This record gives sequence, structure tokens and C-alpha cells, in this order.
Amino acid sequence: MKITRRELLISAGSLLAYSQLGSLANAEVNIAAQPGDQEMIASMCKALYPHDRFPMSIYMDVAAGAIKKGNADTGAKISFRAGLDGLKINKFDKMNFKKQTKYLKSIENTPFFGLVRGHTVVALYDHKEVHKIFGYQGASFDKGGYKDGEYNDLSWLPEPRIEEHPDLTAFLDDSSPKKYASLKIKKTF
Amino acid sequence: MKIDKKEKAVVVIGSGPGGAQVAYQLTKQGIPVVLLEAGRRIMKEEYVNEEWPAFSQMAWLDKRTMSGNARIVKDFNGLPTWLVKAVGGTATHWAGATPRFLDYEWKTKSTYGSVDGATLMDWPIDGKEMKPYYVKAEDAIGSTHRGGRPPLPANNNYKVFAEGAKRNGYKFYATGPYGTNAAPYDGRPASIQDGFNFQGDKNGSKWNPNVSEIPKALATGKLELRTNSQAVQITTDSSGKADGVLYMDTKTKALHRQEAKVICVAGNSIETPRLFLMSASSRFPNGLANSSDQVGRNYMRHLTGSVYATFDKPVNFFRGETMAGFLADEVKHNPKRGFVGGYYLETLALGPSFLGAFLDPGKWGKKFADMMDGYQNMAGMWIVGEDMPQANNRITLGSAKDAFGLPAPNVHFDDHPNDTAMRNHAYEKGEAIYKAVGATQTYRVTPYPHTHNLGSMRMSAKAKDGVVDKWGRCHDVKNLFVSDGSVMTTGAACNPTLTITALAIRQGEYLADQLKKGNV
Repeated sequence: MKITRRELLISAGSLLAYSQLGSLANAEVNIAAQPGDQEMIASMCKALYPHDRFPMSIYMDVAAGAIKKGNADTGAKISFRAGLDGLKINKFDKMNFKKQTKYLKSIENTPFFGLVRGHTVVALYDHKEVHKIFGYQGASFDKGGYKDGEYNDLSWLPEPRIEEHPDLTAFLDDSSPKKYASLKIKKTF
Repeated sequence: MKIDKKEKAVVVIGSGPGGAQVAYQLTKQGIPVVLLEAGRRIMKEEYVNEEWPAFSQMAWLDKRTMSGNARIVKDFNGLPTWLVKAVGGTATHWAGATPRFLDYEWKTKSTYGSVDGATLMDWPIDGKEMKPYYVKAEDAIGSTHRGGRPPLPANNNYKVFAEGAKRNGYKFYATGPYGTNAAPYDGRPASIQDGFNFQGDKNGSKWNPNVSEIPKALATGKLELRTNSQAVQITTDSSGKADGVLYMDTKTKALHRQEAKVICVAGNSIETPRLFLMSASSRFPNGLANSSDQVGRNYMRHLTGSVYATFDKPVNFFRGETMAGFLADEVKHNPKRGFVGGYYLETLALGPSFLGAFLDPGKWGKKFADMMDGYQNMAGMWIVGEDMPQANNRITLGSAKDAFGLPAPNVHFDDHPNDTAMRNHAYEKGEAIYKAVGATQTYRVTPYPHTHNLGSMRMSAKAKDGVVDKWGRCHDVKNLFVSDGSVMTTGAACNPTLTITALAIRQGEYLADQLKKGNV
């Protein structure tokens, strides 16, 4: 198996994580508690789902949630630590977007990537600020629902028919098994 | 009413469209019923109009495992379905589409012929026999466009869909038939276009048993609704008849037993066969009523898929009714397209929260983000078409255990080549609809966790070919019935709830008659 320099660095990061865990045997170890860690994860969240319209504060919120999940159990802590160290060693936050994408591709199969991506896609698009930016208004029940002129305010297309076509009943009723069995199948799928 | 556990009662398991309807049909005729529901009763005031909190509130999240080659096995392992654990069952979550089976869809083996790898079979009933029950079901649900009931108005998503369809030469588009009131009906108000049908509908305009059959059955004074009561085993007497249900209180985990003279099972296509398999005994070593080895087999879920598109102008597709848009032009069997059976296209809107999770599971990067960024200018549709029954698409008891120590069901699903061919055809047509009205980007979306779960307890004329007869009565156990969509021999192209309701009304009337005559 050929080990790339990057993989070696990631492994090194894991080893470092392990050794630090050992040296802190009696204290509770929390991952990503260093200054700048949340920013680093946030830069990863943004590279995963890049939206120029979103302020960095949204990605910071998402990163905080990812870090919380990274501290949820020992297994998560171990892999999160390794992944974060990989980002730090490679100065992920200083890379351009193209390089970031390439780097993320290279770690796509790690549990760390899975945790951060899985969390980000849910937390980011569930974020109230994102809904606002997207123009998603959400619940309207308390306002009596969407009013006439809101739910049907699209004006760049003509008003469509809402009733069924007069031929529909005949179309659906014409469905005798015998008639349709006579359609010749040449080759399906 | 209160029914003693020692009394040999009529017991219905599950309060979704099948179970609640049978319970209502029986109690309406004065027959007392114990209705066991695994979930709790969520009243409409409690529904939450936010996607994830509502999902957590009602989804069936008990442990399940999955296998097979369908993409969903990888994307959503552990969550094969999107079902509801609450009074009203998955109708709490349903959008509301109510098309009927076409006549030949009751007879697919005779019509389509043999399809390699598929276990097509004719139903033992036909369209003519079902017609009056469809009318009753449409009246029960209050389907728009039927029985003189008016259509819902066009929302923005429908405007894009209908005009795109028209420009493609399609004719059969409309805003229904749809199970949400356009005008007040059956004591329920007209829609206020507040969306969130998938989250229960706070306004109560949408039909579901929790706002219709359940309160009506309770009003007869003949129903005992036991919530948080999950059936775990059906027991049999020395003659092989079902004589009781063991069920647990999901809160206290206490096990109870209700004596029974008749049992109707309506737990949906995973829990129903699971219960039969967990009811294996020395008399029924392969599971209850399973001499045919068909319990759990031929599980179907419609082929499904979605197409989303963005435009250069706003759509705001989330406003208004979730799925009030229909296209029937592609529903007819036309083997020239390269597959058997047909499909409907139906409008569908998701909020950003769900769209992010379901647009392209596992995907990330700029293209995905750009698609999401077009949210306000987005339109969406759902594909629902007939999928092929296959013997090995099945529910079995896996080695994993659920939180109660019971064997978790394993759901195996392989896509059939006919499913894939139909889905690809539908993707193309869906994209053509949106391109005709100026789509700047289109997106083909893989199936979500399945809401249409069918088969697995199939209905057959002969005992060796299936689990239940034409009334939904088990071939092997004469006082045991199946009352949900799992009886479907084949699934047709249409959304299943109307057919489940029609079958349950028919079964309920039959069972009431048989009970009165002392034949059960």
C-alpha cells in the first residue's frame, strides 16, 4: 500500500491525539477546545456547502454543533481529533477553495468527514438564518395560512387549468386487461 | 367503552387508514372493538410546522436493518421507510393524493405477461368489484374533484408544473384528486394553504383517521382505543385459531394479553409481517399463517424519485398545499417506452431542512450548494409508479434487537431493471416539463425513505400463492385478517391510501356481516 504524504500527516495527527489523550489521563479531554478550532471546522463546513450569501457566523454555529457531536463519545473524540489535526497540519483554512475541495475529497471516507458532513447538511439547511436568506417563510398557520396572492403570486406564467381535462375519465376508464394485454412488448428494460 | 382483557373481543392492531377504517366500520354497526395502537395520540394542536421537530415527533424510528442493492440501503441505512407511530398511522404524514387503480392494474400478470425476476400475479378481485368501494373511500376522505367536491386552487409550484406539462403536449393535469378539503366537508374546514401536510396539518383540512374515523368510532361508544400498546405476538388455540394478542405498554414495558375472537392486523408492510413472523409456534413453525412461505415476501414501495428545477424568477414552491398537482398522461401501460406499467407525476415541495437532507444524500460541494441556493426559484415534483414485486424483496427477522429486546425487522430491497427503466423515463419527462418553462438547472433526486409500503402479505386466490384471500382473511387462520396495504398483490401506479381505504371499508362490511351471522 502506497502511503501519501497527506495520509502520513493524518496518521501523525492521530498518533498525536492518542498521545495527548494519554498524557491527560485524569482530566476530561474535550476535542476542539483550542482557540481557532471552531473557526477551522467552520472553514470546513463552508468548503463542503459553499454559499457566498451566508455570513461566517452561520458556519460557526454549525461548527459548534459538529464539535459537540465530536465530543459525544470516545470513538467520536478519537476520530474527530485526528481529522481536526489533519486540517491544522495542512492549514486547511488558508487553502484556496479548489485545494480545499481536493483535500476534502482525500478524506471523504474518514469517520471525521462523515460526522462533519452529515451534521453540516442537516444543521446548515435547518438554520433559521439560512431560511431567511433563502426566502423560506416556513409556518404560516398562526397567520391564517398563505393568503390569496401569496401562495399563487407567480406571475411569469399563465394561470393554469385546475379542473381535470374532460377526456380524463374516458382515458382512465379505457383500461381493460384484455385490451392492454394485446400490446406487444418487443423488449423491456 | 372499556373492554375486559379476558373478554374474547374483536381486536384491531394499528390505527392507520386500514385499521381505523375497519374499526369504524365495525363499531358503526354496533360491534365492540379493541384498537391497539403502538404510538400515542397526537392532537392537531400539537403538530409542529417545522420539518425535523415534526419528524422526531411522529416518525417510526424503532430499529430496523436493511440489505439489497437499492441506493436507499446505503443512503438511509436503518431508515427504510418514513412511517408514523401515532394514532392515524402514516396518514398523519401523507400528502393526500387519491387516484384509483386502473382496471388492468388488478390483473398485471394477465396484462403484462411474465417479467423476468418479477412475481407478478393477478389480484383475486377486479376493478368492477372495487368501483363502489372507491366511491365510498373518496367520500370518506373527501377527495377533491370527486363527488361534486371542488378542486383546490393552483399554487405556485402547480403553475410551473401545469404550464410545463401543457407545453410538452400533456393533457391530464389538475390539482387533484386530493384528500384535503378545498371547501368545508365532513366537519372539517377548507385548506388555508398553510402547507405542512407531511407534518400532520394543524388546520385539520386534510383527512386522516385521527381527525375522522377515530373520533367517529369513539362517538359510537363501541371503541376502546388503547394507545402506546404495541402488539408483539398473536397466540393460537389448540385448533389453530387465533385466540389472543400479547402487547406491550411502550412506556412501562409491561406485557399484556387481550383475549380475541377475531384479529385484524394493520401495522403497515413491515410491522405486519414482522408480527406474524414473531408469532411462530410449534404449530406454525415458519411464522403464523405462513404455510405458503409468502409472509414478508414481495414487499413493494413504488419506484419513486423526484425532479427539482431552478428558474431565473421566483417560484416560492413551499407556499400552499404540498402535493396538489397531478399528471396522469404517463400512467398507462405502454411497453414501447421500454418497461411495463406506468407512473404519475405529482407536485411536491420540501422546506430547506428536508431538501438539504434528501436532494442528493451524501453529496457536497459547489454544484449541490448552488442548487440549494436557488431555493426561492425552485419547483419540484415526485414520481410515483408501479414497481415490480420480487420474491426476495422481503421483510425478515434479523439478528439485531430493538430497544425492547425483540428481533428487529430486516428490509431487503433490490431495484428491478423495470423499476430503473421507468424511473429514468420519468426523470427525463420531468426534466422536459421544467425545461419547457425555462429551467436553468434540473436535479434528479433519488428515492426518499419510503412512504408507500405495500405487499409482504399478498392477497391470492390460492392458499399456496399468498397469505390472505380476497377478503384479507388469512388462508391458514380463519379468524385472522390483514387490513392494511401489505395485502396488495401488486401495487399499481397510484398512491395507495385510497385503495387501502376502499379495501378496508369492503373488509369491514364483510366482517360485520360474518360476525352477525356467526361465521367467524
